[in-house]
Amino acid sequence: MIPKTVKCPKCKHEVTIEGNPGEKIMITCPSCNAKGAFTFPGEKPTDSFSIQVNSLTKTFNGLKAVDNVSFNVRRGKIFGFLGPNGAGKTTTIKAMLGLIHFNSGSIQINGFDIIKNSKAVKSSIGYLPERIAFYDNLTPVQTLNFFCELKGADKSVVKPLIKEVGLEDAIDKKVGNFSKGMLQLLGIAQTMIGNPSVYILDEPTSGLDARWVKIVRDKIKTLNEQGATIMFSSHILSEVQSLCDKVAIIDKGRLVAEDTVPNLNRILNIKPRLEIYISNLNGKIPEIISKIEGIDAVDAKGDVLFVTCDYSVRIKVATALEQAGFQIKDIKTVDPSLEEAFMKLLFKDGGVN
Amino acid sequence: MGPINLKSIYYVSKKEFLDNIRNKWIIVLTTLLFLLVILFSYLAGTGGRLGDTQITVIRLISISSILIPLIAIILGFSTISGEAESGSFSVVLSYPVTRLEVLLGKFLGLGSVIVVSVLIGFGLGGIIITAAAGGESWLGFLIFIGLTILLGLIYLSLSICISAFFKRRITSIGGGLIIFFWGMILGSIFLGILYGSGYNIEALSKGNIPSWYWCETFLSPTDLNQVAVLRGFGVNEINMGPQISVTLPDFLNAGAVLFVHLMWLIIPMILAYFFFKRRDI
Repeated sequence: MIPKTVKCPKCKHEVTIEGNPGEKIMITCPSCNAKGAFTFPGEKPTDSFSIQVNSLTKTFNGLKAVDNVSFNVRRGKIFGFLGPNGAGKTTTIKAMLGLIHFNSGSIQINGFDIIKNSKAVKSSIGYLPERIAFYDNLTPVQTLNFFCELKGADKSVVKPLIKEVGLEDAIDKKVGNFSKGMLQLLGIAQTMIGNPSVYILDEPTSGLDARWVKIVRDKIKTLNEQGATIMFSSHILSEVQSLCDKVAIIDKGRLVAEDTVPNLNRILNIKPRLEIYISNLNGKIPEIISKIEGIDAVDAKGDVLFVTCDYSVRIKVATALEQAGFQIKDIKTVDPSLEEAFMKLLFKDGGVN
Repeated sequence: MGPINLKSIYYVSKKEFLDNIRNKWIIVLTTLLFLLVILFSYLAGTGGRLGDTQITVIRLISISSILIPLIAIILGFSTISGEAESGSFSVVLSYPVTRLEVLLGKFLGLGSVIVVSVLIGFGLGGIIITAAAGGESWLGFLIFIGLTILLGLIYLSLSICISAFFKRRITSIGGGLIIFFWGMILGSIFLGILYGSGYNIEALSKGNIPSWYWCETFLSPTDLNQVAVLRGFGVNEINMGPQISVTLPDFLNAGAVLFVHLMWLIIPMILAYFFFKRRDI
């Protein structure tokens, strides 16, 4: 709550009020009884966040699958949800959709509470589950027609959606004869029914070949450019890194990090890696390297020397190598990846924390 | 719980009907029903002619009380546990539809499959018999069809309840088998208890049967249904063995029998809703 002192425009009497950003407070002047209103500056939390998860806890037979997890996803952003198998990603996502009952906490999507107003929440969501299945005896058109009916959406989108995901050749086949990849594509098509403003995608590229992985990634970008908020979980860290504005990492049911990829690397003190191409190196690490301070790790493969160090040490390394007589052909700086942040957060001494 | 959206129930039921009417087992069992009606009618007739509907139906009861529960259990046993396990419920329940609407839609959709199956199997057979052998008992045959559908819906309600209770499809099969055999063997168990408690054939043939024995009728949907069909044809006696014909007690009247039918239908559905509502998908 933000305190604010306002002056009555009529009698100039001062009144102190309290409110949240974006909240409109009706005021009656205690001195002259004049009525007025004051709106606190800033966005309402429900307006700026599409997804708000607060202190979510879910236990299975006394075991905490999700332990006090909180995060927010800003409207129009792509949010990556990462974690090893069994970390609690799917449980969190299922709780967000009301598919599982959680023990405590609250979940709001587009300002609506999933328990109190589940139909309003689900009307604005496109969800792709990790493990997808449809009805064996229905065709893809019948399947998507059914989902259009449930969402109250126009059925004219069905055939274009099937074409968009490349299933037009299977339009008359029964879904029971579909491969895993085809089911995944049909699943992606059903998420787009009714143009939802929030997409929740659990491993969206699993089971797809490389061509379709790229098409799905491009589709995620396009949907986001059109204003949709997207939250997706993935094991493929490069995928998350290339798409996401922000990531959250969950392990053993607890959220261990939530930030942008560069910020995570900065917080975790993950350093960039130099790739130095040296003539006739032949996989040998030059002795001079051991004398330079600020180097975390060194490796050599063929004519490439890999040096992990601070940005400020790069010049020292290059100068020292040249002074020692090494002929440098090229130098590249590889920025720290999400994978490194992920590994640093989850693994310690070769095992999971 | 918010207001029920009838449109959502209709959409779910339509999908269930479309998906299950093409089930191979249902097609096979429906064809079998039709052939059995003709066969039993042929056996009830003389000189190669089809027999009267009443005799045919009384002989058909025993076979319909096996096949109809079987159709209903095949349709319902995995409708919740199977979909939860396969992942299709994760998609359906992410749409703006409540679990109650899904449950009612499933019951109506799968119930429609049973209605179609009985109408094709018994209805078509009944028309042929009526055309060939006369239709003095056509009203009784219509009541038989109605009660057969009701029996199917009761077993559907029971199997949906089983499906909502068990977590996995494989355990639901076990549950389905239990409810199937419950209806089949309960009568024999009670008859065994009756003989075991000192009642002999002579006493039974004189109609000396304790009232507790007849309670079995209320506990077994198939026996209850058989009594209802007999009442529908105006038959008041049942056979309990060779040359032992026993008059049905007055408390097993049409009203009481119909009421208990409805209880068998409604109570499992209420339980199914509570199991389904509590379930994590």
